[in-house]
Amino acid sequence: MPDRREFLNTLIRGSILAGLGLLSGALIFRTGKEGDCGFDFTCGSCSKSKDCKLPRALESRQMVWQLDPSKCIQCGRCATNCVLTPSAVKCVHVYAMCGYCDLCGGYFKPGTKTLNTAAENQLCPTNALKRKFVEDPFFEYTIDELLCIGCGKCVKGCGAFGNGSLQLQVRHDRCVNCNQCSIARNCPSGAFSRVPAGNPSLLKGMGTETETGKLKSS
Amino acid sequence: MKQKIFVIAALILLLCLILFMTRDLFFSHSENKPNPYEYDLKALKSADTTQSLYTEDRQIHTRLAEIHGVATDAADNIYIAGNGGVEIYSRDGVFLKKFSIKGTARCITVDVKDNIYLGMEDHVEIWNGSGKLITQWTSPGEESIITSIAVTDTWVFLADAGRKVVYRCDLSGKMIDRIGEKDPENKIPGFIVPSPYFDLGIAPDGSLWVVNPGRHEFEKYTFDGRLVSTWGEANMTMEGFCGCCNPSHFAFLHDGSFVTSEKGIERIKIYTSGGKFNSIVALSASFEEGTKGLDLAVDSRDRVIVLDPVKLMVRIFVKKK
Repeated sequence: MPDRREFLNTLIRGSILAGLGLLSGALIFRTGKEGDCGFDFTCGSCSKSKDCKLPRALESRQMVWQLDPSKCIQCGRCATNCVLTPSAVKCVHVYAMCGYCDLCGGYFKPGTKTLNTAAENQLCPTNALKRKFVEDPFFEYTIDELLCIGCGKCVKGCGAFGNGSLQLQVRHDRCVNCNQCSIARNCPSGAFSRVPAGNPSLLKGMGTETETGKLKSS
Repeated sequence: MKQKIFVIAALILLLCLILFMTRDLFFSHSENKPNPYEYDLKALKSADTTQSLYTEDRQIHTRLAEIHGVATDAADNIYIAGNGGVEIYSRDGVFLKKFSIKGTARCITVDVKDNIYLGMEDHVEIWNGSGKLITQWTSPGEESIITSIAVTDTWVFLADAGRKVVYRCDLSGKMIDRIGEKDPENKIPGFIVPSPYFDLGIAPDGSLWVVNPGRHEFEKYTFDGRLVSTWGEANMTMEGFCGCCNPSHFAFLHDGSFVTSEKGIERIKIYTSGGKFNSIVALSASFEEGTKGLDLAVDSRDRVIVLDPVKLMVRIFVKKK
Protein backbone atom coordinates (compact mmCIF):
# COMPACT_ATOMS: atom_id res chain seq x y z
CA MET A 1 0.00 0.00 0.00
CA PRO A 2 1.64 3.32 -1.03
CA ASP A 3 2.35 5.75 1.76
CA ARG A 4 1.41 9.41 1.77
CA ARG A 5 4.85 10.60 0.52
CA GLU A 6 4.67 8.33 -2.53
CA PHE A 7 1.14 9.53 -3.29
CA LEU A 8 2.22 13.20 -3.16
CA ASN A 9 5.25 12.49 -5.41
CA THR A 10 3.01 10.81 -7.98
CA LEU A 11 0.56 13.72 -7.82
CA ILE A 12 3.28 16.33 -8.37
CA ARG A 13 4.83 14.36 -11.27
CA GLY A 14 1.39 13.94 -12.82
CA SER A 15 0.64 17.67 -12.48
CA ILE A 16 3.97 18.61 -14.08
CA LEU A 17 3.33 16.24 -16.98
CA ALA A 18 -0.20 17.57 -17.49
CA GLY A 19 1.09 21.15 -17.37
CA LEU A 20 3.75 20.39 -19.95
CA GLY A 21 1.12 18.78 -22.18
CA LEU A 22 -1.17 21.79 -21.92
CA LEU A 23 1.70 24.19 -22.65
CA SER A 24 2.76 22.26 -25.75
CA GLY A 25 -0.83 22.09 -26.99
CA ALA A 26 -1.31 25.83 -26.46
CA LEU A 27 1.92 26.62 -28.30
CA ILE A 28 0.98 24.44 -31.25
CA PHE A 29 -2.51 25.95 -31.35
CA ARG A 30 -1.12 29.50 -31.12
CA THR A 31 1.34 28.92 -33.97
CA GLY A 32 -1.49 27.72 -36.23
CA LYS A 33 -3.70 30.69 -35.37
CA GLU A 34 -1.05 33.29 -36.08
CA GLY A 35 -1.13 32.46 -39.72
CA ASP A 36 2.43 31.19 -39.94
CA CYS A 37 2.18 30.43 -43.61
CA GLY A 38 5.82 31.03 -44.45
CA PHE A 39 5.15 34.03 -46.69
CA ASP A 40 6.60 37.47 -45.98
CA PHE A 41 3.78 39.40 -47.65
CA THR A 42 0.09 39.77 -46.85
CA CYS A 43 -2.70 38.45 -48.98
CA GLY A 44 -5.97 40.38 -49.00
CA SER A 45 -8.17 37.31 -49.13
CA CYS A 46 -6.10 35.20 -46.69
CA SER A 47 -8.25 33.53 -44.04
CA LYS A 48 -5.48 34.07 -41.48
CA SER A 49 -5.16 37.79 -42.16
CA LYS A 50 -7.02 38.65 -38.94
CA ASP A 51 -4.18 37.15 -36.92
CA CYS A 52 -1.32 37.94 -39.26
CA LYS A 53 1.51 39.79 -37.55
CA LEU A 54 3.25 41.17 -40.63
CA PRO A 55 3.59 45.01 -40.52
CA ARG A 56 1.29 45.59 -43.49
CA ALA A 57 -1.47 43.50 -41.92
CA LEU A 58 -1.07 45.28 -38.60
CA GLU A 59 -1.35 48.64 -40.37
CA SER A 60 -4.50 47.61 -42.22
CA ARG A 61 -6.11 46.63 -38.93
CA GLN A 62 -5.40 50.04 -37.42
CA MET A 63 -8.50 52.22 -37.61
CA VAL A 64 -8.59 55.86 -38.73
CA TRP A 65 -11.35 58.46 -39.02
CA GLN A 66 -13.11 59.03 -42.33
CA LEU A 67 -16.27 60.76 -43.43
CA ASP A 68 -18.84 59.21 -45.68
CA PRO A 69 -19.73 61.65 -48.52
CA SER A 70 -23.11 60.01 -49.00
CA LYS A 71 -24.08 61.09 -45.47
CA CYS A 72 -22.33 64.49 -45.52
CA ILE A 73 -24.64 67.53 -45.55
CA GLN A 74 -21.87 70.17 -45.99
CA CYS A 75 -22.70 71.91 -42.70
CA GLY A 76 -19.28 73.60 -42.56
CA ARG A 77 -18.24 72.05 -39.23
CA CYS A 78 -15.34 70.13 -40.76
CA ALA A 79 -13.72 73.53 -41.26
CA THR A 80 -14.40 74.84 -37.78
CA ASN A 81 -14.28 71.83 -35.44
CA CYS A 82 -11.01 70.11 -36.34
CA VAL A 83 -8.18 70.43 -33.79
CA LEU A 84 -5.93 71.38 -36.72
CA THR A 85 -5.97 74.74 -38.49
CA PRO A 86 -6.67 74.43 -41.36
CA SER A 87 -8.75 71.31 -40.96
CA ALA A 88 -7.51 67.83 -41.91
CA VAL A 89 -10.69 67.49 -43.95
CA LYS A 90 -10.17 68.52 -47.56
CA CYS A 91 -12.13 68.49 -50.75
CA VAL A 92 -11.06 65.71 -53.11
CA HIS A 93 -12.00 65.41 -56.75
CA VAL A 94 -13.28 62.14 -58.19
CA TYR A 95 -12.27 62.86 -61.77
CA ALA A 96 -14.02 59.78 -63.12
CA MET A 97 -17.34 61.36 -62.12
CA CYS A 98 -16.60 64.92 -63.25
CA GLY A 99 -18.44 66.37 -66.23
CA TYR A 100 -15.65 68.95 -66.79
CA CYS A 101 -18.43 71.54 -67.08
CA ASP A 102 -17.82 75.10 -68.18
CA LEU A 103 -20.48 76.30 -65.74
CA CYS A 104 -19.29 74.37 -62.69
CA GLY A 105 -21.67 74.61 -59.72
CA GLY A 106 -18.77 73.96 -57.37
CA TYR A 107 -16.61 76.72 -58.80
CA PHE A 108 -18.94 79.60 -59.63
CA LYS A 109 -21.03 81.69 -57.30
CA PRO A 110 -24.75 81.85 -58.09
CA GLY A 111 -25.51 84.79 -60.32
CA THR A 112 -22.20 84.65 -62.14
CA LYS A 113 -22.82 85.79 -65.67
CA THR A 114 -19.34 85.75 -67.15
CA LEU A 115 -17.69 82.40 -66.72
CA ASN A 116 -14.11 83.38 -65.92
CA THR A 117 -11.70 83.04 -63.01
CA ALA A 118 -12.33 86.49 -61.56
CA ALA A 119 -12.23 86.37 -57.76
CA GLU A 120 -15.77 87.73 -57.43
CA ASN A 121 -17.10 84.76 -59.41
CA GLN A 122 -15.53 82.09 -57.23
CA LEU A 123 -17.52 80.20 -54.64
CA CYS A 124 -14.45 78.92 -52.75
CA PRO A 125 -13.60 81.37 -49.94
CA THR A 126 -9.87 80.55 -50.17
CA ASN A 127 -9.41 80.19 -53.94
CA ALA A 128 -8.46 76.53 -53.43
CA LEU A 129 -10.38 75.29 -56.45
CA LYS A 130 -8.49 75.90 -59.70
CA ARG A 131 -10.02 75.97 -63.16
CA LYS A 132 -8.08 75.12 -66.31
CA PHE A 133 -9.27 75.05 -69.92
CA VAL A 134 -8.95 71.64 -71.57
CA GLU A 135 -10.82 71.92 -74.88
CA ASP A 136 -14.10 73.54 -75.89
CA PRO A 137 -16.32 73.33 -73.82
CA PHE A 138 -14.44 71.39 -71.12
CA PHE A 139 -12.61 72.68 -68.05
CA GLU A 140 -10.60 70.75 -65.48
CA TYR A 141 -10.93 71.56 -61.78
CA THR A 142 -8.17 70.77 -59.29
CA ILE A 143 -7.86 71.38 -55.56
CA ASP A 144 -4.97 73.12 -53.86
CA GLU A 145 -4.95 71.23 -50.56
CA LEU A 146 -2.74 73.81 -48.90
CA LEU A 147 -5.52 76.36 -49.36
CA CYS A 148 -8.53 74.11 -48.85
CA ILE A 149 -10.13 74.47 -45.42
CA GLY A 150 -12.75 71.74 -45.87
CA CYS A 151 -15.75 74.08 -45.70
CA GLY A 152 -17.66 72.04 -48.29
CA LYS A 153 -19.14 74.96 -50.24
CA CYS A 154 -17.86 73.59 -53.53
CA VAL A 155 -19.07 70.12 -52.58
CA LYS A 156 -22.58 71.45 -52.03
CA GLY A 157 -22.56 73.35 -55.33
CA CYS A 158 -21.23 70.39 -57.28
CA GLY A 159 -23.78 68.03 -55.74
CA ALA A 160 -26.67 70.42 -56.38
CA PHE A 161 -25.90 71.20 -60.01
CA GLY A 162 -23.47 68.56 -61.19
CA ASN A 163 -22.42 64.97 -60.75
CA GLY A 164 -21.17 65.31 -57.16
CA SER A 165 -17.57 64.62 -58.10
CA LEU A 166 -16.25 67.05 -55.45
CA GLN A 167 -16.35 65.30 -52.08
CA LEU A 168 -14.96 65.88 -48.58
CA GLN A 169 -12.48 63.41 -47.12
CA VAL A 170 -10.21 63.26 -44.06
CA ARG A 171 -6.64 63.49 -45.37
CA HIS A 172 -4.52 61.11 -43.36
CA ASP A 173 -1.21 62.73 -44.25
CA ARG A 174 -2.22 65.47 -41.78
CA CYS A 175 -4.99 64.00 -39.58
CA VAL A 176 -3.62 63.33 -36.07
CA ASN A 177 -6.23 60.57 -35.59
CA CYS A 178 -7.59 61.77 -32.24
CA ASN A 179 -9.10 59.09 -30.08
CA GLN A 180 -12.33 61.11 -30.09
CA CYS A 181 -12.41 63.14 -33.30
CA SER A 182 -13.84 66.56 -32.47
CA ILE A 183 -15.50 66.88 -35.89
CA ALA A 184 -17.12 63.47 -35.51
CA ARG A 185 -18.45 64.55 -32.11
CA ASN A 186 -20.18 67.54 -33.69
CA CYS A 187 -21.15 66.04 -37.05
CA PRO A 188 -24.95 66.44 -37.29
CA SER A 189 -25.38 63.68 -39.86
CA GLY A 190 -23.17 61.03 -38.26
CA ALA A 191 -21.02 60.90 -41.36
CA PHE A 192 -17.79 60.09 -39.48
CA SER A 193 -16.72 56.56 -38.69
CA ARG A 194 -13.58 54.52 -38.10
CA VAL A 195 -12.26 52.73 -41.17
CA PRO A 196 -9.20 50.48 -41.63
CA ALA A 197 -6.01 52.48 -42.25
CA GLY A 198 -5.17 50.17 -45.13
CA ASN A 199 -8.31 51.29 -46.99
CA PRO A 200 -9.04 54.77 -45.66
CA SER A 201 -11.15 56.34 -48.45
CA LEU A 202 -14.93 56.48 -48.58
CA LEU A 203 -15.70 57.99 -51.96
CA LYS A 204 -19.19 58.23 -53.39
CA GLY A 205 -19.96 56.89 -56.83
CA MET A 206 -16.83 54.84 -57.27
CA GLY A 207 -17.30 51.35 -58.57
CA THR A 208 -21.09 51.56 -58.59
CA GLU A 209 -23.19 50.62 -61.60
CA THR A 210 -24.41 53.45 -63.76
CA GLU A 211 -28.09 54.07 -64.34
CA THR A 212 -28.13 52.78 -67.87
CA GLY A 213 -24.98 50.75 -67.71
CA LYS A 214 -23.57 53.08 -70.34
CA LEU A 215 -23.91 56.69 -69.33
CA LYS A 216 -23.84 58.03 -65.82
CA SER A 217 -27.05 59.73 -64.83
CA SER A 218 -26.67 62.89 -62.81
CA MET B 1 -15.16 81.17 11.63
CA LYS B 2 -12.71 82.22 8.88
CA GLN B 3 -11.97 78.58 8.11
CA LYS B 4 -15.70 77.87 7.71
CA ILE B 5 -16.10 80.71 5.20
CA PHE B 6 -13.07 79.47 3.28
CA VAL B 7 -14.52 75.93 3.10
CA ILE B 8 -17.94 77.22 1.91
CA ALA B 9 -16.30 79.42 -0.75
CA ALA B 10 -14.18 76.51 -1.93
CA LEU B 11 -17.25 74.29 -2.13
CA ILE B 12 -19.16 76.90 -4.15
CA LEU B 13 -16.18 77.28 -6.48
CA LEU B 14 -15.98 73.51 -6.92
CA LEU B 15 -19.71 73.31 -7.62
CA CYS B 16 -19.40 76.05 -10.26
CA LEU B 17 -16.53 74.17 -11.87
CA ILE B 18 -18.53 70.94 -11.94
CA LEU B 19 -21.53 72.76 -13.43
CA PHE B 20 -19.38 74.37 -16.11
CA MET B 21 -17.79 71.03 -17.02
CA THR B 22 -21.18 69.29 -17.13
CA ARG B 23 -22.57 71.98 -19.40
CA ASP B 24 -19.53 71.86 -21.64
CA LEU B 25 -19.61 68.07 -21.90
CA PHE B 26 -23.29 67.30 -22.14
CA PHE B 27 -25.07 70.46 -23.20
CA SER B 28 -22.86 71.66 -26.00
CA HIS B 29 -24.87 73.84 -28.37
CA SER B 30 -22.47 73.70 -31.27
CA GLU B 31 -25.23 72.42 -33.56
CA ASN B 32 -27.01 75.73 -33.12
CA LYS B 33 -24.00 77.77 -34.15
CA PRO B 34 -24.47 79.39 -37.55
CA ASN B 35 -22.36 77.96 -40.36
CA PRO B 36 -19.92 80.67 -41.44
CA TYR B 37 -19.53 78.87 -44.78
CA GLU B 38 -23.24 78.46 -45.46
CA TYR B 39 -24.12 78.08 -49.13
CA ASP B 40 -27.84 78.73 -49.24
CA LEU B 41 -29.38 77.14 -52.30
CA LYS B 42 -32.91 78.12 -51.29
CA ALA B 43 -32.52 81.54 -52.84
CA LEU B 44 -31.66 79.91 -56.16
CA LYS B 45 -34.66 77.64 -56.03
CA SER B 46 -37.16 80.39 -55.30
CA ALA B 47 -38.27 83.11 -57.68
CA ASP B 48 -40.49 86.10 -58.14
CA THR B 49 -43.98 84.60 -57.89
CA THR B 50 -45.35 87.13 -60.37
CA GLN B 51 -43.41 85.23 -63.05
CA SER B 52 -45.34 82.07 -62.24
CA LEU B 53 -48.24 82.04 -64.67
CA TYR B 54 -49.31 78.42 -64.27
CA THR B 55 -51.11 76.41 -61.63
CA GLU B 56 -51.37 72.67 -61.11
CA ASP B 57 -54.76 71.46 -62.30
CA ARG B 58 -54.69 67.72 -61.71
CA GLN B 59 -52.52 64.69 -61.05
CA ILE B 60 -52.69 61.25 -62.60
CA HIS B 61 -51.15 58.48 -60.50
CA THR B 62 -49.62 55.73 -62.58
CA ARG B 63 -49.66 52.05 -61.71
CA LEU B 64 -46.25 51.53 -63.32
CA ALA B 65 -43.37 51.07 -60.90
CA GLU B 66 -40.90 53.09 -62.99
CA ILE B 67 -41.79 55.79 -65.52
CA HIS B 68 -39.65 57.62 -68.09
CA GLY B 69 -41.78 59.19 -70.81
CA VAL B 70 -45.04 61.02 -71.41
CA ALA B 71 -46.80 61.96 -74.67
CA THR B 72 -50.19 63.05 -75.94
CA ASP B 73 -52.11 62.13 -79.07
CA ALA B 74 -54.39 64.18 -81.32
CA ALA B 75 -57.35 63.55 -78.97
CA ASP B 76 -55.29 64.75 -75.99
CA ASN B 77 -55.11 61.26 -74.48
CA ILE B 78 -52.09 60.93 -72.23
CA TYR B 79 -49.58 58.11 -72.68
CA ILE B 80 -47.14 57.11 -69.93
CA ALA B 81 -44.25 54.77 -70.69
CA GLY B 82 -41.88 53.08 -68.32
CA ASN B 83 -40.56 49.76 -67.22
CA GLY B 84 -42.70 46.90 -68.48
CA GLY B 85 -45.65 48.80 -69.86
CA VAL B 86 -47.50 51.73 -71.36
CA GLU B 87 -50.59 53.28 -69.79
CA ILE B 88 -53.15 55.43 -71.59
CA TYR B 89 -55.38 57.95 -69.82
CA SER B 90 -58.03 60.31 -71.13
CA ARG B 91 -57.41 64.07 -71.09
CA ASP B 92 -59.28 64.18 -67.75
CA GLY B 93 -57.11 61.50 -66.20
CA VAL B 94 -59.49 58.55 -66.57
CA PHE B 95 -57.62 55.29 -67.03
CA LEU B 96 -58.31 53.84 -70.49
CA LYS B 97 -55.94 50.95 -71.03
CA LYS B 98 -52.55 49.47 -70.37
CA PHE B 99 -50.36 47.13 -72.35
CA SER B 100 -47.19 45.32 -71.45
CA ILE B 101 -43.82 45.70 -73.12
CA LYS B 102 -40.62 43.77 -72.68
CA GLY B 103 -38.01 46.03 -71.11
CA THR B 104 -37.89 49.72 -70.35
CA ALA B 105 -39.16 52.48 -72.61
CA ARG B 106 -37.04 55.59 -71.99
CA CYS B 107 -39.15 57.82 -74.25
CA ILE B 108 -42.49 57.81 -76.05
CA THR B 109 -44.08 59.67 -78.97
CA VAL B 110 -47.49 59.21 -80.60
CA ASP B 111 -47.92 60.09 -84.28
CA VAL B 112 -51.04 61.44 -86.02
CA LYS B 113 -52.21 57.87 -86.76
CA ASP B 114 -51.92 57.03 -83.05
CA ASN B 115 -48.94 54.77 -83.60
CA ILE B 116 -46.88 54.66 -80.42
CA TYR B 117 -43.12 55.01 -80.86
CA LEU B 118 -41.09 53.73 -77.90
CA GLY B 119 -37.37 54.28 -77.39
CA MET B 120 -36.40 50.93 -75.87
CA GLU B 121 -32.86 51.68 -74.68
CA ASP B 122 -30.98 50.95 -77.93
CA HIS B 123 -33.80 50.49 -80.46
CA VAL B 124 -37.25 51.73 -81.45
CA GLU B 125 -40.48 49.75 -81.21
CA ILE B 126 -43.74 50.84 -82.81
CA TRP B 127 -47.00 49.70 -81.20
CA ASN B 128 -50.60 50.41 -82.05
CA GLY B 129 -53.16 51.75 -79.60
CA SER B 130 -54.49 48.25 -78.94
CA GLY B 131 -51.15 47.20 -77.54
CA LYS B 132 -49.93 45.21 -80.53
CA LEU B 133 -46.30 45.42 -81.58
CA ILE B 134 -46.24 46.61 -85.21
CA THR B 135 -42.53 46.62 -85.82
CA GLN B 136 -39.15 46.77 -84.15
CA TRP B 137 -36.28 48.68 -85.75
CA THR B 138 -32.72 47.46 -85.63
CA SER B 139 -30.47 49.08 -83.08
CA PRO B 140 -28.05 51.75 -84.37
CA GLY B 141 -25.39 50.31 -82.07
CA GLU B 142 -24.78 48.58 -78.76
CA GLU B 143 -23.94 51.81 -76.98
CA SER B 144 -27.07 53.60 -78.25
CA ILE B 145 -29.57 55.04 -75.78
CA ILE B 146 -32.63 56.43 -77.56
CA THR B 147 -33.83 59.27 -75.35
CA SER B 148 -36.22 61.14 -77.65
CA ILE B 149 -38.26 60.55 -80.79
CA ALA B 150 -40.03 63.06 -83.05
CA VAL B 151 -42.21 62.07 -85.98
CA THR B 152 -43.26 64.10 -89.07
CA ASP B 153 -45.28 62.96 -92.08
CA THR B 154 -42.17 61.57 -93.75
CA TRP B 155 -39.39 61.35 -91.20
CA VAL B 156 -38.62 60.02 -87.77
CA PHE B 157 -35.88 61.74 -85.75
CA LEU B 158 -34.12 59.87 -82.96
CA ALA B 159 -31.88 61.38 -80.29
CA ASP B 160 -29.16 58.90 -79.32
CA ALA B 161 -27.54 59.94 -76.04
CA GLY B 162 -25.11 57.04 -76.13
CA ARG B 163 -23.62 57.99 -79.48
CA LYS B 164 -24.31 61.73 -79.06
CA VAL B 165 -26.00 62.09 -82.43
CA VAL B 166 -29.45 62.58 -83.98
CA TYR B 167 -30.64 60.18 -86.68
CA ARG B 168 -33.07 61.01 -89.48
CA CYS B 169 -34.90 57.85 -90.49
CA ASP B 170 -37.68 57.19 -92.95
CA LEU B 171 -40.96 55.73 -91.72
CA SER B 172 -39.68 52.19 -92.27
CA GLY B 173 -36.76 52.82 -89.92
CA LYS B 174 -34.06 53.13 -92.56
CA MET B 175 -31.39 55.57 -91.41
CA ILE B 176 -30.97 58.44 -93.88
CA ASP B 177 -28.78 60.96 -92.05
CA ARG B 178 -26.71 61.54 -88.95
CA ILE B 179 -27.24 65.06 -87.60
CA GLY B 180 -25.18 67.16 -85.19
CA GLU B 181 -21.86 65.34 -85.23
CA LYS B 182 -18.86 67.57 -84.61
CA ASP B 183 -17.95 69.27 -87.87
CA PRO B 184 -15.76 72.38 -87.45
CA GLU B 185 -15.85 73.05 -91.19
CA ASN B 186 -19.62 73.56 -91.09
CA LYS B 187 -19.47 75.16 -87.62
CA ILE B 188 -21.29 72.30 -85.94
CA PRO B 189 -19.94 72.10 -82.37
CA GLY B 190 -21.13 68.53 -81.68
CA PHE B 191 -23.41 67.38 -78.92
CA ILE B 192 -22.08 67.17 -75.37
CA VAL B 193 -24.18 64.59 -73.56
CA PRO B 194 -22.67 63.64 -70.20
CA SER B 195 -25.79 61.79 -68.99
CA PRO B 196 -28.77 60.19 -70.77
CA TYR B 197 -30.85 63.36 -71.08
CA PHE B 198 -30.91 64.39 -74.71
CA ASP B 199 -34.17 65.70 -76.13
CA LEU B 200 -35.38 66.85 -79.53
CA GLY B 201 -38.65 68.07 -81.00
CA ILE B 202 -40.37 69.43 -84.07
CA ALA B 203 -41.60 73.02 -83.63
CA PRO B 204 -45.07 74.06 -84.88
CA ASP B 205 -43.32 75.71 -87.87
CA GLY B 206 -41.85 72.32 -88.78
CA SER B 207 -38.25 72.99 -87.77
CA LEU B 208 -36.08 70.51 -85.89
CA TRP B 209 -34.75 71.61 -82.50
CA VAL B 210 -32.27 69.60 -80.45
CA VAL B 211 -30.96 70.30 -76.95
CA ASN B 212 -27.20 70.37 -76.61
CA PRO B 213 -27.29 69.69 -72.86
CA GLY B 214 -23.57 70.03 -72.14
CA ARG B 215 -23.62 73.50 -73.69
CA HIS B 216 -27.02 74.44 -72.18
CA GLU B 217 -28.22 75.37 -75.65
CA PHE B 218 -30.98 74.68 -78.13
CA GLU B 219 -29.80 74.05 -81.68
CA LYS B 220 -31.99 74.35 -84.75
CA TYR B 221 -31.14 72.08 -87.68
CA THR B 222 -32.49 71.62 -91.16
CA PHE B 223 -33.64 68.07 -91.85
CA ASP B 224 -30.45 67.40 -93.78
CA GLY B 225 -28.30 68.39 -90.80
CA ARG B 226 -27.33 72.02 -91.39
CA LEU B 227 -27.08 74.06 -88.20
CA VAL B 228 -29.33 77.09 -88.56
CA SER B 229 -29.32 78.81 -85.21
CA THR B 230 -28.81 78.36 -81.48
CA TRP B 231 -30.03 79.97 -78.29
CA GLY B 232 -29.46 79.41 -74.59
CA GLU B 233 -27.36 80.89 -71.84
CA ALA B 234 -25.36 78.98 -69.24
CA ASN B 235 -25.84 80.71 -65.91
CA MET B 236 -27.56 80.14 -62.59
CA THR B 237 -30.20 82.81 -62.93
CA MET B 238 -33.81 82.04 -63.78
CA GLU B 239 -33.21 83.12 -67.37
CA GLY B 240 -30.39 80.63 -67.93
CA PHE B 241 -29.73 76.91 -67.70
CA CYS B 242 -27.21 75.48 -65.27
CA GLY B 243 -25.99 72.19 -63.90
CA CYS B 244 -25.19 69.06 -65.77
CA CYS B 245 -27.20 68.38 -68.92
CA ASN B 246 -29.90 71.01 -68.89
CA PRO B 247 -32.53 71.51 -70.10
CA SER B 248 -33.21 67.81 -69.70
CA HIS B 249 -36.53 67.87 -71.59
CA PHE B 250 -38.65 70.27 -73.63
CA ALA B 251 -41.92 70.56 -75.53
CA PHE B 252 -43.55 73.21 -77.71
CA LEU B 253 -46.63 75.33 -77.07
CA HIS B 254 -48.75 76.07 -80.11
CA ASP B 255 -47.25 79.53 -80.61
CA GLY B 256 -43.79 77.96 -80.86
CA SER B 257 -42.75 78.81 -77.28
CA PHE B 258 -40.45 76.33 -75.57
CA VAL B 259 -41.48 74.62 -72.33
CA THR B 260 -38.29 73.40 -70.63
CA SER B 261 -37.58 71.22 -67.61
CA GLU B 262 -34.36 71.03 -65.63
CA LYS B 263 -32.76 68.83 -63.03
CA GLY B 264 -30.45 69.91 -60.23
CA ILE B 265 -32.67 72.90 -59.67
CA GLU B 266 -35.97 71.26 -60.56
CA ARG B 267 -37.96 73.84 -62.51
CA ILE B 268 -40.16 74.16 -65.51
CA LYS B 269 -40.05 77.38 -67.49
CA ILE B 270 -41.35 78.87 -70.70
CA TYR B 271 -39.25 80.69 -73.30
CA THR B 272 -40.54 82.51 -76.33
CA SER B 273 -39.93 81.01 -79.77
CA GLY B 274 -36.93 83.35 -80.00
CA GLY B 275 -35.42 81.99 -76.79
CA LYS B 276 -36.32 84.81 -74.41
CA PHE B 277 -37.34 83.83 -70.89
CA ASN B 278 -41.09 84.29 -70.51
CA SER B 279 -42.55 82.70 -67.38
CA ILE B 280 -42.44 79.91 -64.81
CA VAL B 281 -44.63 76.81 -64.82
CA ALA B 282 -43.33 75.13 -61.65
CA LEU B 283 -40.41 75.57 -59.25
CA SER B 284 -38.38 73.22 -57.06
CA ALA B 285 -40.91 73.44 -54.23
CA SER B 286 -43.32 71.42 -56.39
CA PHE B 287 -40.94 68.47 -56.64
CA GLU B 288 -39.00 66.13 -54.39
CA GLU B 289 -35.36 67.17 -54.06
CA GLY B 290 -33.23 65.34 -56.59
CA THR B 291 -36.05 64.70 -59.05
CA LYS B 292 -34.77 64.18 -62.55
CA GLY B 293 -36.36 63.06 -65.78
CA LEU B 294 -39.23 65.56 -65.82
CA ASP B 295 -40.43 64.66 -69.30
CA LEU B 296 -42.88 67.11 -70.87
CA ALA B 297 -45.79 67.09 -73.28
CA VAL B 298 -48.27 69.76 -74.36
CA ASP B 299 -51.83 69.03 -75.45
CA SER B 300 -54.11 70.86 -77.88
CA ARG B 301 -55.25 73.23 -75.12
CA ASP B 302 -51.64 74.16 -74.28
CA ARG B 303 -51.82 72.39 -70.93
CA VAL B 304 -48.31 71.49 -69.77
CA ILE B 305 -48.14 67.80 -68.90
CA VAL B 306 -45.23 66.91 -66.64
CA LEU B 307 -44.00 63.42 -65.81
CA ASP B 308 -42.88 63.19 -62.18
CA PRO B 309 -40.90 59.95 -61.97
CA VAL B 310 -40.27 60.25 -58.22
CA LYS B 311 -43.91 60.71 -57.21
CA LEU B 312 -44.93 58.27 -59.99
CA MET B 313 -47.52 60.58 -61.47
CA VAL B 314 -48.31 62.87 -64.35
CA ARG B 315 -49.04 66.43 -63.30
CA ILE B 316 -51.04 68.78 -65.46
CA PHE B 317 -50.39 72.51 -65.27
CA VAL B 318 -52.75 75.08 -66.76
CA LYS B 319 -52.38 78.79 -67.29
CA LYS B 320 -53.79 80.89 -64.45
CA LYS B 321 -56.98 82.75 -65.32
